[in-house]
Amino acid sequence: MGDVISKVVSTLITVVIAVGASAGLWVGANLVFNQVRRDWSRFNAIAYGVIGFVVGAILSGNRLTAGSGKGDGRLEEFASWVWLPLVIGIASAAVGFALSRIEDPTPRLVIGAVGLGSLGLLSGLLLREEYRPDVDIGPLVGWTVAIAAIGGGISYLRKRPPICGVLIGGAIGWILGAFGSPDLGGGSAAWAAVASLVPAAAIGVRVSMTPIPDRERKARIDQSSRAVIFLGPALLFIFATLVVPAIRTMYLSFLDNDAADFVWFDNYVDTFRDPISWDSSDWTNMFTSWPFIIGVVLLVIFVLVGTYTKRTTGKTVELGSASMAPLVIGGLFLAFGVFTALRGTIVNNLWWVVVVTAFSTGLGLAVAVLADNVKFEKVAKSVIFMPMAISLVGAAVIWRFMYVARDSTKTQTGVMNAVWVGLGKLSTGSGIPTIIVGVLVTIVFLALLMAVARALVTQSYARAVVPGVFAILLGWFVIRYWGIFGGGIGGQKINSAGVVVGDPINFVQDPPYNNFWLMVVLIWIQTGFSMVILSAAIKAVPTELIEAARVDGATPSQIFWRVTLPQISTTIGVVVTTLIVLVMKVYDIVKVMTNGNFGTQVLANDMFQQAFQFTNIGRGASLATLLFLLVLPVMIFNIRRMQKEV
Amino acid sequence: MRRPRWFSFLALLLVFGLIAAACGSDDDEGDVAAEDEAPAEEEAAAEEEAPAEEEAPAEEEAPAEEPSGDIDSITVTGPERDESEAGAYQEVLGAWGAENGIEVNYLGDADWEANINTQVQGGNPPDISMFPQPGKLAEFARDGHLVPLSDGAAAATATNWSEAWTVFGNVDGVQYGVPAKADLKSLVWYQPAAFEAAGYEVPTTFDEFTALVDQMVADGGPKPLCVGIESGQATGWTYTDWVEDMVLRQHGPEVYDQWVSHEIPFNDPQIVESMDTVLQLWNEDTVFASSGTIAATAFQDNGQPLVDGDCFMHRQASFYSAFIPEGTTFADGSEDAVDVFYFPDIDGSKPVLGAGILAAAFNERPEVHQLLEFLSSPEYAEQRQTAQQALKGGGDALSGYLSAAIGQDPSVYQPLEQSFLDILANSTIVRFDASDLMPADVGAGTFWTEGTSAVNGDKTAQEAADTIEASWPS
Repeated sequence: MGDVISKVVSTLITVVIAVGASAGLWVGANLVFNQVRRDWSRFNAIAYGVIGFVVGAILSGNRLTAGSGKGDGRLEEFASWVWLPLVIGIASAAVGFALSRIEDPTPRLVIGAVGLGSLGLLSGLLLREEYRPDVDIGPLVGWTVAIAAIGGGISYLRKRPPICGVLIGGAIGWILGAFGSPDLGGGSAAWAAVASLVPAAAIGVRVSMTPIPDRERKARIDQSSRAVIFLGPALLFIFATLVVPAIRTMYLSFLDNDAADFVWFDNYVDTFRDPISWDSSDWTNMFTSWPFIIGVVLLVIFVLVGTYTKRTTGKTVELGSASMAPLVIGGLFLAFGVFTALRGTIVNNLWWVVVVTAFSTGLGLAVAVLADNVKFEKVAKSVIFMPMAISLVGAAVIWRFMYVARDSTKTQTGVMNAVWVGLGKLSTGSGIPTIIVGVLVTIVFLALLMAVARALVTQSYARAVVPGVFAILLGWFVIRYWGIFGGGIGGQKINSAGVVVGDPINFVQDPPYNNFWLMVVLIWIQTGFSMVILSAAIKAVPTELIEAARVDGATPSQIFWRVTLPQISTTIGVVVTTLIVLVMKVYDIVKVMTNGNFGTQVLANDMFQQAFQFTNIGRGASLATLLFLLVLPVMIFNIRRMQKEV
Repeated sequence: MRRPRWFSFLALLLVFGLIAAACGSDDDEGDVAAEDEAPAEEEAAAEEEAPAEEEAPAEEEAPAEEPSGDIDSITVTGPERDESEAGAYQEVLGAWGAENGIEVNYLGDADWEANINTQVQGGNPPDISMFPQPGKLAEFARDGHLVPLSDGAAAATATNWSEAWTVFGNVDGVQYGVPAKADLKSLVWYQPAAFEAAGYEVPTTFDEFTALVDQMVADGGPKPLCVGIESGQATGWTYTDWVEDMVLRQHGPEVYDQWVSHEIPFNDPQIVESMDTVLQLWNEDTVFASSGTIAATAFQDNGQPLVDGDCFMHRQASFYSAFIPEGTTFADGSEDAVDVFYFPDIDGSKPVLGAGILAAAFNERPEVHQLLEFLSSPEYAEQRQTAQQALKGGGDALSGYLSAAIGQDPSVYQPLEQSFLDILANSTIVRFDASDLMPADVGAGTFWTEGTSAVNGDKTAQEAADTIEASWPS
């Protein structure tokens, strides 16, 4: 217990110091920049002094310079750390002060070059032996010239004198060439001195070339400095936690699986060659699979209806026209046909994107529209929104229980299979419940037939469509239920002994449709999200527009398709792109429900397994990069659109 | 008005404190904050930005000179995290530590397979880790992450364990691992009373075994076998165990070794034959799968149907006693007692498929190697068995622990466990679970997933073997 308390106390002290130091730095930075307008010399001296001190502290604090951290007493040791930063800090403060006072260009140049150059010389001479570079002239010149050219180019593009960029670029290039490319240690002291003298002097020259700013420019520096002070920490944080790891991941994706040698694009090529990622060996099955055939049939219907509507309205397909439904549904079926024939991680990801995005947006829109301004709107929406509150892992666990299949001789404990097998028992049974359910369903079926017949008699064909579709589906159900054709419906089969037993569906294990049952989980969660956003958009449609349409005699469906929908199209776009990005990265559900087994692998889970379970660093990184590249265009599209709206 | 501000400041402090504590950082907080502002200022002083460049090379060379933890404590991690397993570890190792004035902590990690990689790559490995996969151990040893055993520990290991076991911790002639646990996999669990009632006899050859299975199917009673290969992340490993047992029986230890070391390809006809044998043995008539299909049935869920009489036999390792429903007695001759028989062989060579856990060290501290020396000893085996058995409830409960250390007192084990020890002692051919020896891509990857596809009927054995072979890292 005491152990814990002392840990908490020490942590709290650290935190107080850290928070205090950060706050102090922040306030201090603001105070320093207050001096820009008040006293330019003071600002210059402080700014140069602080930068000099920090550079000195980095050199000394990392034990790059001789003597740091050595001393007998505590005081001496402290002094050994701190003297170099202090010297460099004070000297650069003096340089800064001088530069802020002298206006004549030539002495400025001398002060800058000599002042900073001598500090560079000092650090170079103090550099510890193991850090002295063994300089090669070739790379040194190469780097310097290359980066100087880049710097000059940038200056040119920014319409500044190129020499500014050349100096800074040259300094950076020199440092990279001198310290970055050769082995450190074993170099001569003279080279170390030269290596740090030259860039420091170049920077000195560059700094002294900027004249003392006038009042207007001071004001601008003051203003822009505030933005940097406020944004700096956040940007630094993002840079360290997002930009750097992203770049490193891309770098790793070009290395082999031990992250040792460059293999360039081999990891990407392997990913596409691997049958686990992309398997099109059974692609011909596509044409015989039933979703494909249904899709083709629906598309044929679309063409027929389309030519008919073209004759009356002049358009083959438009929002809300009779030809749109077969087009959309047929397209979805066709997609199912393609995705079940082509297999692999990448195909699965695409399948997820198409199905979840389409269903979530479609169902969300349907609920938002149908529940608009009805009595139970709030309750209905709350219930549909509720799954959003469940974590993906939680939802996956819940649905795994829903999908559980048990041996056919046991009671089914999963809800889905309990219903399915129960239906099977009911349809093959002969008790009173069987007859009651059967009669009820048959009555509903007959009622639907009546509705279709009436619509046909009154020649309002559009009204026949919905009851017609349901009548067909229910008719099939009734025929199967009574065993007129195909012997019963639901999960049942007749075993070798001639007894009817349950026949549960293995929702999670039977490929390829198990993918769809996993997608249902995400659709279940995400429908609430699209419903809320779209509902808000629908409520924001100006009522005058709708009333005007109503006065003009538009039917409710016409109002929806021709007034409401175009008004909320931008919101639909946002919902769709957000969903695409989210679905592309799907991981939790697959991880929990199948862990990629049974042909349900997706990119994100594959990446995790490759990178962390099999330690195939390169392959894992390439999958991560691939995922990033796939999401990128959608993100760019989304951000552009958002900026346009603002 | 002042109070709320103070409170919110305190709240902020607390939040930061919690975050800092969660991150487990000790003293770098201040540094981060300090560096936070410096670049901001430099950027602000727009043109003077360049000196910052000097930082870049400087920072890269910042040496990592953190002291390697407290000297007087040893951290041991491993995948065993069951209450009784982790509890027994902590009890036995803690007692050893108390004797030697060292604090020993055992951390059981459910996601050990992934986390150990991260820890090692992050340069922050534990002192000792328990490896259920010699393949993983060898990988770390070859990459220079593991430290060879000290002479004392190596000598102790050589005297306390037979070469059949120490060889799994031996990488290129250097001993890195200490066997600390042994599992026996070639076992079939059954109810003697059920066999007796139906007039069946324990098979002694594989042909007898298959004949018995056919007989049971023909009799139309309970199904012969209970099989389930679902195991969360590791779904499929049960199938790989069956295949390994069959390779050992059909083709012998030499082919087995060639298979493991990839001297013959994974889709070699001999291996495919063994994969097929298992698949043919498993069908709707022979297997009771409590969740509908074999691939959907959790491997833990086979104990209940065995006791309930839904099936006659279940081939599974020695640790399976943990999954037999509570209240069942073992090998005591009572009405519904559960017993085991050796999964019969073909030519009488009595090969045994084993598995186990090896301990290996990530640093050279002498006390760490002393602990490894202790882990190899029969005393450790006895203490661990006693502690784990007590945590399982004492009495005649089975601990689920088994050791093959030489010189341990067999009386600490229950009668059934003593029969395991007999099987181990009588076998000359012991082979470690192949999937644990293969590279993780295969052994913990495609062998499991493709095997599952084959069991599920989505692929043939040949197709599965081809895919596994393609995934073998070059």
